[in-house]
Amino acid sequence: MKRITLYFVVCVLLCGCAEQDEFEHDQVGNFEALWTIMDEHYSFFDYKQVDWNEVHRRYRARVSNEMTDRELFDICGDMLKELRDGHTNLIATHDVSRYWIWEQWPVNYDERIIDQHYLNFDYKMASGIKYQILPDNFGYMYYGSFSSTIGEGNLDLILSYLSTADGLIIDVRDNGGGMLTNVEKLVSRFIDGKTLAGYISHKTGPGHNDLSEPYPYYYEPAKNHIHYLKPVVVLASRGSFSATNNFVSIMKGLDQVTVVGDTTGGGCGLPFTSELPNGWRVRFSSCPIMDAQGRLTEFGVAPDVRIDMNENDRTHDAILDEAIRILTRATNN
Amino acid sequence: MLSRHIPCGANTNYANYADFTKYLLFKFVEFAKLAFKTGRGCHSIYCTYCLPFIMLLCCSLTVAARPADIPESAVLPNQSALMLDAGYASIHDSYLTPITYDGLDLGLSLEATRWTKKHKWLWQLGVGADYNYVENKAQNNDLYKLMGDISFSMQHAWLGVLHPRLNFSVGPMAQVRAGIVYNAVNSNNPVTVRAHANVGATGMAWFNTRLGRKPITLRYQMQLPVAGAFFAPEYDESYYEIYLGNHKNLAHLGWWGNRFDMVNYLGADLRLGKTTLRLGYRSRLEHWTVNHLHVHDFTHALVLGISL
Repeated sequence: MKRITLYFVVCVLLCGCAEQDEFEHDQVGNFEALWTIMDEHYSFFDYKQVDWNEVHRRYRARVSNEMTDRELFDICGDMLKELRDGHTNLIATHDVSRYWIWEQWPVNYDERIIDQHYLNFDYKMASGIKYQILPDNFGYMYYGSFSSTIGEGNLDLILSYLSTADGLIIDVRDNGGGMLTNVEKLVSRFIDGKTLAGYISHKTGPGHNDLSEPYPYYYEPAKNHIHYLKPVVVLASRGSFSATNNFVSIMKGLDQVTVVGDTTGGGCGLPFTSELPNGWRVRFSSCPIMDAQGRLTEFGVAPDVRIDMNENDRTHDAILDEAIRILTRATNN
Repeated sequence: MLSRHIPCGANTNYANYADFTKYLLFKFVEFAKLAFKTGRGCHSIYCTYCLPFIMLLCCSLTVAARPADIPESAVLPNQSALMLDAGYASIHDSYLTPITYDGLDLGLSLEATRWTKKHKWLWQLGVGADYNYVENKAQNNDLYKLMGDISFSMQHAWLGVLHPRLNFSVGPMAQVRAGIVYNAVNSNNPVTVRAHANVGATGMAWFNTRLGRKPITLRYQMQLPVAGAFFAPEYDESYYEIYLGNHKNLAHLGWWGNRFDMVNYLGADLRLGKTTLRLGYRSRLEHWTVNHLHVHDFTHALVLGISL
């Protein structure tokens, strides 16, 4: 019995033994953990030509165990900005580091101008979509966030209401993204056959070039739901980021669609999240999504018609006006 | 050197058996000490985990070769029991986080054990679910793990060996175990699915004695999956991509080269009239490495049970 007991105790003790890369829970350890996580999981090093080892040398020299959490956070945040990626954030209880380059570009969207001078404060709202038929008999819908879940029934009612319009303007300016499933729901109302939406890839290992073969993905028309196949103009701005960038890239490939406004904000890497020993979380691009031509849109999708709003004109939205002109020409032809 | 200590089939006697067992235990403890001392036990994890089972198997085979005094009856550990596990859990899943989380383990399971007609074989059926609620070291995030499993085994029994009331059984086992691990704060990797179907071996030793006037059965059992199939996404593959239809490289052949699972149980069944109370300890290990992903989960739990 003693032998069996001894054997059992040894078996149990061994349960706690495993190979794991644990970093020290000090400032240097957390810095190294962050650098290593990015080194092994970030997917755009080569595309952006970032020498991550050189970045390590530069920033590691600034880190010591004596520094405060805030000082360490600032250094780590600066290091992540080297990646020029709006999907890459360091998240702590006191701050979120970010590379939101679109903040420095023209906003190209003013909700007040549209509400007052185009909608006359008279519009419908459903599933996070503001919609109305403009005086020129063109439908207008503003979708401010792909995080707002779109109900198929709501979308049926919206498109049913707008079905009498001669054309449709889909405004996704200043839409910072959200769920890709909502992109599919929306796009599926504007296609009449199986459509190549793009390609998706992912990291297959810790090496910078360990990426899977791009996998083509297709969208199908929404079955038994209302579709809109008349001319469509999509309004985009630098604030159209992430899932919105993906939406614009797919819509741009459709024959009846024209994209008007500014280049989108980019962000074509599906972000994953990891964490440091001190509990800070890091978000980073891990799965590149390409457009239907197989191109990365990390730095944005260029519009078909490039135009900025006039910041001094508080009564007109030049981008929306251009959309109305395009639809007018399309319907007159 | 080893041949001097290995007993040979029907000629085996108790002294040789004892020598052999001592030798194996000595080598095992020596190895374990070395592994812990050098901190390299983790690099040879399969060897360290396999060795105990090989020992058990060798012991059983050795015992089997010895003429045994079969007792008139061999009372099984409580034939049907409902068990509640409560204890400690540690979860490391690199798909979700590089940090190891630890916390609470809870489990609920049913176990049925039955003899075949001639008392040479017994079968065992187990159904259970377990839940882990674990926290990171920084205490600012939680993981939730929910698993369910079902297992069936047929075990050949050797009764009254070494001691009239000591019994052994060893046999093949099949098991399906599946569930999810959830991390609420992650963006596109908030959850991972665990699914594993396997075949393996299980071995049991039980000893019938008395505690005061009450009969009690002491039991040790190990479940050891050997090979099977299991699910794992690729390194940083999102479940969204799987949803889009990319199902490549999701199913993997599991064997001791990439995966090791083990369940150890030690407990006592105290018969109080028509009711039997069970008190025991259970440890569960799940370890695998595939697609550059690493999982190492283990639990240590107190088991309370009652006969059905």
